[in-house]
Amino acid sequence: MSSTLKPYLNAVRTTLDAAMCLGNFNSQVVERHIKPEVEVKTSKELLLTPAVIARNEKEKVLIEASYNSIRVSIAVKQADEIEEILCQKFMRFMMMRAENFVILRRKPMKGYDISFLITNFHTEQMLKNKLVDFVIHFMEEIDKEISEMKLSVNARARIVAEEFLKRF
Amino acid sequence: MAELHNFGVKPIPCHAWNQDRTQLALSPNNNDVNIYQKQATGWKLMHTLSEHTLQITGIDWAPKTNRIVTCGADRNAYVWQLNDGEWQQELVILRINRAATCVKWSPEEDKFAVGSSSRMISVCYFESENNWWVSKHIKKPLRSTVLSIDWHPNNILLVAGCCDYKAYIFSAYIKEINNKPGPTVWGKKMTFGYLMQEFSMPCYGWVHGVSFSKSGDRLAMVSHGSEVCVATGGSELVTLRTPHLPFLDCLWLTENSFVAAGHDCNPMLYTVDDACSSVTFCCKLDQASKGAGSGRAVSAMNMFKMMDKKGSVATGDNEPQTKHKNAILQVLKYSDDKFSTSGSDGNVIVWNVKSLESSIEEMKIV
Repeated sequence: MSSTLKPYLNAVRTTLDAAMCLGNFNSQVVERHIKPEVEVKTSKELLLTPAVIARNEKEKVLIEASYNSIRVSIAVKQADEIEEILCQKFMRFMMMRAENFVILRRKPMKGYDISFLITNFHTEQMLKNKLVDFVIHFMEEIDKEISEMKLSVNARARIVAEEFLKRF
Repeated sequence: MAELHNFGVKPIPCHAWNQDRTQLALSPNNNDVNIYQKQATGWKLMHTLSEHTLQITGIDWAPKTNRIVTCGADRNAYVWQLNDGEWQQELVILRINRAATCVKWSPEEDKFAVGSSSRMISVCYFESENNWWVSKHIKKPLRSTVLSIDWHPNNILLVAGCCDYKAYIFSAYIKEINNKPGPTVWGKKMTFGYLMQEFSMPCYGWVHGVSFSKSGDRLAMVSHGSEVCVATGGSELVTLRTPHLPFLDCLWLTENSFVAAGHDCNPMLYTVDDACSSVTFCCKLDQASKGAGSGRAVSAMNMFKMMDKKGSVATGDNEPQTKHKNAILQVLKYSDDKFSTSGSDGNVIVWNVKSLESSIEEMKIV
């Protein structure tokens, strides 16, 4: 199972390395404005071909890049209902605090659980290889966190049920 | 070998040297141009030119006439002259309605060309009757933002790299101020705005950097498809797909070799054969010294220290080993055997080609 994890993360890492070559770009459409081209999509020549890297049907990463911005959307593995609920709550918690997160997008793309929007301003302020490291680390940690949370939910459910049934 | 000059942490998208290389004009990614004077112990800020209302995107310093032209995202360009120790600006009416992206003085310094996001190039010259700078536009067939501009040594032709995946060679012959030029390898007819030749990038990448060689017979282009392309007049494009991250600028060192630098933070040398039929990669110019072997034992200790202090499992040394810690944005000629690069890390580095050649074995300038 985990034998597909390393090549999956390596593929995502090399794609991000190549796609995160961003530069400043003043808008061609509105004067005196700078817009993330991957979000506004007004000029087709500024957009690169989007790439999907899929480990299986449920787990995939969509990388859309443009001249000055890149959008990375991650679909997290959710095997059963509990994981779906936990994932949704966890992502919502982070997305509500997207301002402090800096590179997080407030709404995920359709079909995905969480999205990052990284612009040339972020790559100017922060080291690009560290940003890529962060996204990969994030992908690894999310799975672990959700499994941990699921275990603790089940453990608590068992304890609660035991206490309740002691009365009978 | 390489002198590193640091000017803060902000990126330096554009820089320019004066004639004797004692002064450096650069913009720290804001609305101002800072002019530094070289001192024995570093650089001293002499002047700050603040007239632009938005970010400055291009600076060029004309060596002979000592004039600076700056262009910015506020659709304006200013020509600065030094009067009594102060820089005075003159507004240039570019008549563009989007941001300007790049600016270059022509070799004779009687005109300059500004590339813009409004899909046109403004070629500006000084009209002495009205005492102001006048612009003429080159519009067809540009279909997207112009990213880079370079002049041919004959003062008439210019090449523009554009976001529509093409590089164009235009004639910028202005009959009021230029003499009629002789024919070149690029063609004979040279009316203003005439398209001499057009090159399409095979990999559909934005053309970030273009450069004419010293004779003007060869043209180098670097694009976002990680390709390096060379062409000579009338012939087909010769491309080399590189395994590196895209380059942002290029510069010819001799007639057969040029240096390209970009997102890999490392200037790389490429050679072209005499017939201009193939491009080959020569070497990286920023090679970390081989003394890193002794760091092996120390790094094991470091790894456990990291695990103890920061709780992180060391994923290896991810710090960039190159002198530039972030992308290289511009490559400029400094002197006959030196070139300078400015990057997103706030550094300007002057590379000495001769000493690099003696220290790197596989390097050979042909």
